[in-house]
Amino acid sequence: MTGVNISLDELERDALTEVVNIGVSRAASSLRKMVGRQVLLSVPSVEIVTQAAAAALIGQRESEDLVAVKQEFEGAFSGRALLIFPETKSRELARAVMGDEASAEQVSELESEALAETGNVILNNCLGTMANMLKQSLKMSLPEIIRGTGERLFSETGEPDEGALVLFLYINFSVQDRNIRGYIAMLMDLPSMAALKVLIADFIDRVTEDV
Amino acid sequence: MVRGVPTSRFFANIAADDQKRIRLAVAGILAGAEVFSKDYRLVKGDGTMRWVHASGKAILSQDDLPLKFIGDLVDITEQKRVQEQLRIAQSAGAIGTFEHARGFGTVTVSEQFCRLLGLHPTRILPVATVNQLVHPADRPIIEPILPEQPRPDSNIEFRITRADTGEHRWLTRRGEYVRDLSGPGLRYIGVAYDITASKLNEERLKRLNEGLSESVKERTRDRDRIWQNSRDMLAVTDQHGRILDANPAWPAILGIEFSDLVGRGMSELAWPDDAELVRGNFVDTLREGSAAFESRIKHAEGTPRWVSWTASRESETIYLYGRHVTREKEQESALREAEAQLRQSQKMEAVGQLTGGIAHDFNNMLTGIMGALDIIKRRLASGRLEGVERFMDAATASAQRAAGLTHRLLAFSRRQPLDRKPVDVRQLILDMRELLDRSLGEQVELRVQPSPDCWAAVTDANQLENALLNLAINARDAMPDGGQLSIETHNIALVAGEMPGLIIQGKQDFVAITVRDTGVGMSAEVLEKVFEPFFTTKPIGQGTGLGLSMVYGFTQQSGGGVDIKSKPAQGTAITLYLPRSPAESQIDVRRGSPVPQGAGESVLVVEDDSSVRLLVVEVLRDLGYSAIEAVNADLAIEKLRQNDHFDLMISDVGLPGMNGRQLAEVARDIHPGLKVLFITGYAANAINKNEFLADGMDMISKPFDLEQLARKIREMLAVVMNTAVIVPDS
Repeated sequence: MTGVNISLDELERDALTEVVNIGVSRAASSLRKMVGRQVLLSVPSVEIVTQAAAAALIGQRESEDLVAVKQEFEGAFSGRALLIFPETKSRELARAVMGDEASAEQVSELESEALAETGNVILNNCLGTMANMLKQSLKMSLPEIIRGTGERLFSETGEPDEGALVLFLYINFSVQDRNIRGYIAMLMDLPSMAALKVLIADFIDRVTEDV
Repeated sequence: MVRGVPTSRFFANIAADDQKRIRLAVAGILAGAEVFSKDYRLVKGDGTMRWVHASGKAILSQDDLPLKFIGDLVDITEQKRVQEQLRIAQSAGAIGTFEHARGFGTVTVSEQFCRLLGLHPTRILPVATVNQLVHPADRPIIEPILPEQPRPDSNIEFRITRADTGEHRWLTRRGEYVRDLSGPGLRYIGVAYDITASKLNEERLKRLNEGLSESVKERTRDRDRIWQNSRDMLAVTDQHGRILDANPAWPAILGIEFSDLVGRGMSELAWPDDAELVRGNFVDTLREGSAAFESRIKHAEGTPRWVSWTASRESETIYLYGRHVTREKEQESALREAEAQLRQSQKMEAVGQLTGGIAHDFNNMLTGIMGALDIIKRRLASGRLEGVERFMDAATASAQRAAGLTHRLLAFSRRQPLDRKPVDVRQLILDMRELLDRSLGEQVELRVQPSPDCWAAVTDANQLENALLNLAINARDAMPDGGQLSIETHNIALVAGEMPGLIIQGKQDFVAITVRDTGVGMSAEVLEKVFEPFFTTKPIGQGTGLGLSMVYGFTQQSGGGVDIKSKPAQGTAITLYLPRSPAESQIDVRRGSPVPQGAGESVLVVEDDSSVRLLVVEVLRDLGYSAIEAVNADLAIEKLRQNDHFDLMISDVGLPGMNGRQLAEVARDIHPGLKVLFITGYAANAINKNEFLADGMDMISKPFDLEQLARKIREMLAVVMNTAVIVPDS
């Protein structure tokens, strides 16, 4: 993706990464509380890629079908946030969230609901924190469950142009001893990117002033 | 390190370039980010810079508000350098690194690792993502189960399908299971790199090897097939000729089981008569390296089989190749037999032709004799005696011709004893003129031109006459429309080699007699065969084919030769070369003088043929001799004992029981110095008269005329025998 992310300089990328890091950390913290296990996070990846490339990024790594909890956000910058799991892991996640004492029937019955709730907590935490850091507020839609291949998850959003550039943030996480892993992804269109760039610049100014 | 100092102090030593970055990170931690992990440069008092790594964790309150931040600062200047080296090493060597901690579904990878797999460069990859790309039959990159104890892992090779291009590549990985630095379990740290090129080479090499071994196998199979299918006998023996291995042709040809062949010696298998030969050839093979020979081998039935062998030695081993040639041998001998039969039948055919020709001639002559005698008999019965002599002359002429024919036959078979004497060739030719004139007819112009200075030759006058007559008649036949026949002579001195077929010691004088005609001549092919016995250009029954071969035989026997020159349509010239007589012109006295008479001399005639005996006795009595007859040797000896004196004994050579020559010995025991005249018709042992005859003996050939006999007897009786005087008993 080198050469594409010209719109963010290195410091801006660092700053954005830090903002996402903070958001994800909060989200991971929520997840940790929910499953009672250590949650390992990767350093967030921030890239400006085409929508198709973003889909491929996930699709390339995951051969099996995926399950995602999707939430739209609107505000100073708008876009979509997705909590993505391989389908086989989503059951594990639901079980982990619902606790070991839950029966298989209960898990099966409540899987989607549990996933939607978990996603809602994590994504809200993450985006909310980010918006907070940038001194903004975001309006979040209700969580929605999508199933299918990586490509489908990303095209589902009804973006007209697959070749359009998007800001693609993703973090993969895994939960120790639970065989749970997944991604948190955020996609924003170019106007939102421009708005975000300004907000990031403000953020940098703010935090690099002598405390 | 950082404890209880103002934050400004924390930032003071950070290099200017890293200031903002670190401030951002610290802000992040303060804002609730969990992990702090940054590398940055610190400027020391002396202005030098050190790379440090700061890592830490925020301690959060119940409501997730950061309470404090605990962290470590490590000098990683050295590590940075090593990392840089490692990075370069990895990218230069295209080596990807990866690290997997037990219990996690993700693996930490290097960008190079991602590039190897055709994945988007990243730091963390799901284990499934990585393993998904590996060929199902190969070991996964990330082992699902980690061992309990740290240990180095072996080198694992595996195939992958690149995520971006779908290309298939070979990778290898190696690594170690080590104690997790941060957790209780193990951690696998490994490297992976592309080995497709070397793998392809390896594959190619393997295929090449397989191809090679396949072609070796193929060739071995070919050889096996040759060994198995060959109809020739192939074997391997040791240096003593003991069979180590033999192909199936052996049992097939020899009827001996394979198990009975192995270990047997070749000389043992050979036909007993050939055992020594086989042994000798094996010795030769060992010495010379190879040998080729034919020998017989015993078949199980006990009969021989001919085999043509080729043996070659390689160190201590002898390779034997044998071709079964019994059939060829049989065919060869059958061919020889057939050839012999063919020759025999050709001989018989020739004999048939000869006898046919002779019978024809004899019948003509016999008709002449019998017819004439018949007429004479009838004239005598009726008392009409006038003109009878004409028929008697005709009968005599026929009989003489018959005598001439038998002479020719004998001359051809060289059973004819030659009566070689100095002969006046010129006179002989001149004397023949009348005979030739009669024989040749009116259409042929005869020129008889012997040179006046012609030397005398040593030869048999009768045979010479015969030969010339023969040549003249051939010449006549070659001139059906008439022509010229000339007979001429010249003296010539020849040296060795001047005339083919003529054996000459140094330089020798010859009398050359040439019979030349102006007839049809002969082609080169005919010319080549003219001297062959039975060769004739005349129709069957009209010629015996003996003419020229007889002439050839006669001149050879005379110590001379014959030369023939002829071309189609240009006539033929035949020249007889006869050796010159050292004694000049002691001319053979023949005919003309009256028949000499006897004066009562006693003559013993021993002859088994009654008609010959009758004739001889009658003639002797007519001539005035006292003749006593005996049928065989025993009776002759009886007569010899009964009578005190005999002037002459005339004996047939071929008598039943004791032959004429033996009888002569016995007779001379009884009557020493007794003169003996032999009569011979076919005397194999009388060819060379001088060896056969002792002193006081002579010979006359059948048929002879009575005048000849009378002269011979007179001649003999005229000679005074010294022996008779010397022997005291006489």
